[in-house]
Amino acid sequence: MYSSSGRRAGYLIAAAAIALLPLIFPDSYWRTNLTVCALNVMLAIGLDFILGYAGQLNLGHSAFYGIGAYASTLLITRLGVPFWIAFVCGIALAGAAGMALAMFAVRLRGHYLAIASLAFAVIVHQVLLNWISLTQGPLGIYGIRPPPPIALPGLPAISFVNTGNMFYLVAGFALLSYLLLDQILRSPIGEALTAIREDEVSAASFGINCTGWKVFAFGIGSAVAGAAGAFYASLVGTLVPDAFIITESFTILAMVIVGGMGTLLGPVCGAILLTVLPELLRGFGDLRLVLYGAALTLVVLFMPGGMAQAARLLRPRFAGLRAKVLHDRAA
Amino acid sequence: MTALPEIAPAPPDPLFHAQGLRKRFGGVHAVRDLSLAVPRTAIFAIIGPNGAGKSTLLNLMSGLYAPDAGRMTFDGRDLSGVPAHRRARLGLARTFQKIRLFRRLSVLANVVAAFHIHHAIPAWQYVFHGRAFARDHARAREEAMKLLVFVGLEHRASALAASLPYGEQRMLELARALATAPRLLLVDEPAAGLNGAEVERLIERIRLLRERGMTVIVVEHNMDLVMEIADRVLVMDYGQYLFEGTPSEVQANPAVIAAYLGA
Repeated sequence: MYSSSGRRAGYLIAAAAIALLPLIFPDSYWRTNLTVCALNVMLAIGLDFILGYAGQLNLGHSAFYGIGAYASTLLITRLGVPFWIAFVCGIALAGAAGMALAMFAVRLRGHYLAIASLAFAVIVHQVLLNWISLTQGPLGIYGIRPPPPIALPGLPAISFVNTGNMFYLVAGFALLSYLLLDQILRSPIGEALTAIREDEVSAASFGINCTGWKVFAFGIGSAVAGAAGAFYASLVGTLVPDAFIITESFTILAMVIVGGMGTLLGPVCGAILLTVLPELLRGFGDLRLVLYGAALTLVVLFMPGGMAQAARLLRPRFAGLRAKVLHDRAA
Repeated sequence: MTALPEIAPAPPDPLFHAQGLRKRFGGVHAVRDLSLAVPRTAIFAIIGPNGAGKSTLLNLMSGLYAPDAGRMTFDGRDLSGVPAHRRARLGLARTFQKIRLFRRLSVLANVVAAFHIHHAIPAWQYVFHGRAFARDHARAREEAMKLLVFVGLEHRASALAASLPYGEQRMLELARALATAPRLLLVDEPAAGLNGAEVERLIERIRLLRERGMTVIVVEHNMDLVMEIADRVLVMDYGQYLFEGTPSEVQANPAVIAAYLGA
């Protein structure tokens, strides 16, 4: 638990980092990578809300991502809906899909829920692939435009063709999503979700409506994934079903696990690490995927609590080290 | 069997009433044709040999199982089809024979989580934490701390629930159930695994709850405890009603003695 002033400082540092990053990385290659980082952060914290807090083993997160991307894009390209309205619809539809899945699968637990949600992801992917009249199937949708420029009175319009501005937009939303989830989790809702994760039977004996809160958790977590999907389409400019293939669910899961389930900051770090690491390893050519896989295996083997656990273990050691240095200096 | 089982006369206006309860698991009749009426502000004990169906009865009452037949009322309200979490809101709380703590949470967090139905925050403050949120947050922790004092665990508030010794885990279960502010508290074998001093403390606490107007149903193996605190005792055997009366009547009843001693 952090104090509220500590948390406020954390948010300020995050906002400052977001503001500075495009200045440090002026080339569009790294700026785009950073924007993908922000998307992955949204996906990871959304999944963590469902998996790490409510304890529901959801392997269908790629489906909610895809629903958000396709729903918003199709509304724009087919019906001419303005971007921001389509964006909200994409979020709502992804959230509704999550709630619907939770309602059907609510009797399932653990492995069974995992399989049901995996099946859901397969179905969504197949629909995107085969409903050619709507989605153009494997041919994909091309030429998706970035969000329209925002005109502020008295200032030049902010264009999202500019990769730096696009990063600000997505990272800002990622920060906002984090704030939203963090606030919810520190309220009695967070207590109810954790209770459900720990023991459903005794949670129910305290008046906690397990079904209702699971549906809620799926709704919020998948809505955040839907927002990421809508941004993804406008960032990349093309949409193919294979972007939302089920392995994407496992990539997001890896981010949550490497970062540390059941903490919000952990999956943020996990998402950043697992997005940046493959790029940094490009120099190793084909070996990079092997290195990436090996790193992942090592984390799960030796640090099952992820980076959050590593931080918890290291903190007292650092504190001890600092005390020693201060002591030596005084002596 | 068509003859109705013999039943003690129901007290006027019972807090909890069950009629013809039946629950079967495969070929086993865990509870059959059981009726009972629990008077208000009393300590009502349910005893019986192993496998008599006591825990099943408690699970039926708390809504964890649905009965195959029969009906229950709580304070005059029909409980048919009312799920466990709704029963908690009506004022029915329980502890578990097999301890079910939130093991990875702190002792205090365990009790706070059980305050779920008593939070008073406007919906928007779940996201935008305002003054009502802060008040509610502080109150929940204050009340939880009071309950920890009540069960003697205040010095353990920040420990992990899983790290507590067995006896303290049982007391934490009790504190959590009390956090729902029940009118009827069901405790399933609260003394199992407790040492003598802990049992004494438990007895004293349960009596205090009755003094405060609570009705407590105790399922218990520890006969000394039952005889010491119970106002009424229901004896079950093979899922059925065997006898109901005051502790001294139970001790004198030949059928009960036979069931216990196997004579």
